[in-house]
Amino acid sequence: MSTQKLILSLVILSFLCSCKHKEGEYHSLKEKIEHEGNKYHDTGISSEAYIGDIKTIQITEGDHTFLIPERKSQIQSYACNECHSKPLAAMQHSSIAKKAHWNIKLMHANENAMNCATCHDGSDMNQLHSLTNKPVDFNKSYQLCSQCHSIQFENWKGGAHGKNIGGWAKPRAAMTCVNCHNPHQPQIASKWPVRFNTEKVKERK
Amino acid sequence: MSEKKKWFTLDFGFNKENATTTTSGCGCGNTSGGCNSHKPAPIEPPVATSCGCGSTTGSCSSHNTPPPKNEYTITADEFDAAVEDTMVGETQKDGFQQVFDVKMDRRTAFRKLTASLLIGAGAVQTSCSAIAGEETKEKAQIDWEEQFKGNYKLMTQEERDATVKRLVRSYQLRKKENISMSATDASEDVLFGYAFNISKCQGYMNCVSACVEENNQDRNSQMQYIRIHEMKDGEGFKFNEADDNYYHEVPAEGHFYMGTQCFHCDDPPCVNVCPVEATWREKDGLVVIDYDWCIGCRYCMAACPYDGRRFNWSKPEVPQAEVNKNQHYLGNRMRKKGVMEKCTFCIQRSRSGKDPACVEACPTGARIFGNLLDPESTIRWVLENKKVFRLKEDLGTEPKFWYFMD
Repeated sequence: MSTQKLILSLVILSFLCSCKHKEGEYHSLKEKIEHEGNKYHDTGISSEAYIGDIKTIQITEGDHTFLIPERKSQIQSYACNECHSKPLAAMQHSSIAKKAHWNIKLMHANENAMNCATCHDGSDMNQLHSLTNKPVDFNKSYQLCSQCHSIQFENWKGGAHGKNIGGWAKPRAAMTCVNCHNPHQPQIASKWPVRFNTEKVKERK
Repeated sequence: MSEKKKWFTLDFGFNKENATTTTSGCGCGNTSGGCNSHKPAPIEPPVATSCGCGSTTGSCSSHNTPPPKNEYTITADEFDAAVEDTMVGETQKDGFQQVFDVKMDRRTAFRKLTASLLIGAGAVQTSCSAIAGEETKEKAQIDWEEQFKGNYKLMTQEERDATVKRLVRSYQLRKKENISMSATDASEDVLFGYAFNISKCQGYMNCVSACVEENNQDRNSQMQYIRIHEMKDGEGFKFNEADDNYYHEVPAEGHFYMGTQCFHCDDPPCVNVCPVEATWREKDGLVVIDYDWCIGCRYCMAACPYDGRRFNWSKPEVPQAEVNKNQHYLGNRMRKKGVMEKCTFCIQRSRSGKDPACVEACPTGARIFGNLLDPESTIRWVLENKKVFRLKEDLGTEPKFWYFMD
């Protein structure tokens, strides 16, 4: 009887003392991140210097506020109304009109879904317009993309899609859609890898 | 039964009687000389004993010496003081003292002295030579001090700054060029983490190239910390069937790409196995190596379940024009033959707020880096909103490198 009690108490004791974790404080990394994140203080580290010469604008979408590269100064022939002095309809029927933008081939969705006027505003070429004909600034062209690509938009806002600029610390700066995707041909072409390890080939012979 | 043990014997005095009656045998097996280890022998046994040293020509000196104080009868206070001396003192010693204040037997001492003297002789010869110039002497002085410096982990900030200064000066003397090296410490409230988007990686390998250039990796052996694995769609992670050295247009039809590197585990198995504590986990989660303390045993390489560590089989060579001069002591400073190295999440960049080179180089945005403790960071958003997973999670190594898909 007493031996049984002894064994039982030993079993209970070993259960109580069998925490294998060395550090003792946390059971998992997740727990540690959550707990230590609750008492987070700003580190004072800044990534501002690493954004470099890129001119940025600040945007706020939902809960997220961050910087994206400014676009208008990067478009070669902006402002558009320097050529498009009249509404598009008026210019198309004029006899002196030269064909412009002949080199742009639209390969975005299919012809039924999209054409130039889906995004560009024929009456005011200096800005874009949404599907419901609301004006959209060239600097905030992501607002057009997000009309269809809503999942990508959510991921981009959170930071899971789109390349970060500079550093991990504040302020956060990220590429906007058109910095990587050509809006007229958003599909990214395949290419060759930048390196090939010839030593690895030799090692594995 | 030699009383000159290298370890402590816990003894509360119960063995007193035994001690006086044990026959003292010497197992040294010395055939020509005397058995000197018996000089501070315990109280002679009352019965006559034979000397077990096997000496055939020399005398067994142990039997002639008068019995010194019995070592086995120390008081508890003395015992505590002895423990204090060896154990506590050890942890408080700086790197320099660690080298010199080690208790060792005569044989080891001679061996170490000979090795150090050989190195020192060269240094002394050049530094004492009247013909040698000031620069040669300075080089010798630097080499001397570098030879006897301690483990970086245990150095004081002054010692760290001093060794950094020496290394910068040494490079300047040898290569006639200036480098900048830092010994920036981990910041409070920072824990670095990394996320990798498998859907986005296209296998361009820009990350690999940027990493090699940033971290001054050996060009001859084409060492690379990052490996990009090309895997077949629909077959999951099959590393044995994956190709990590492809050369064709990418992305290849029916394949996906995923990268591996050091995952900076929160419970790193590589650190536990290092016999000399030359690798450790920093407060901000980076697992680093002191290249000057590493002995090149490659235990860590064997212990890493992710193939994250690399070994310098030959002297690492980087063309002088390509050397990245922005360096960190624990990061991309020049390594030597026979030491381990690995990804440090570009410690020289990340500690000052910059993204690692691979993150900056990736044209697809598949690589996300940030502070896990900052609830507003992008890495935290990914962990909380995407379906993330880690490699070999069941090992409990807690890598700080997550994979996810769109």
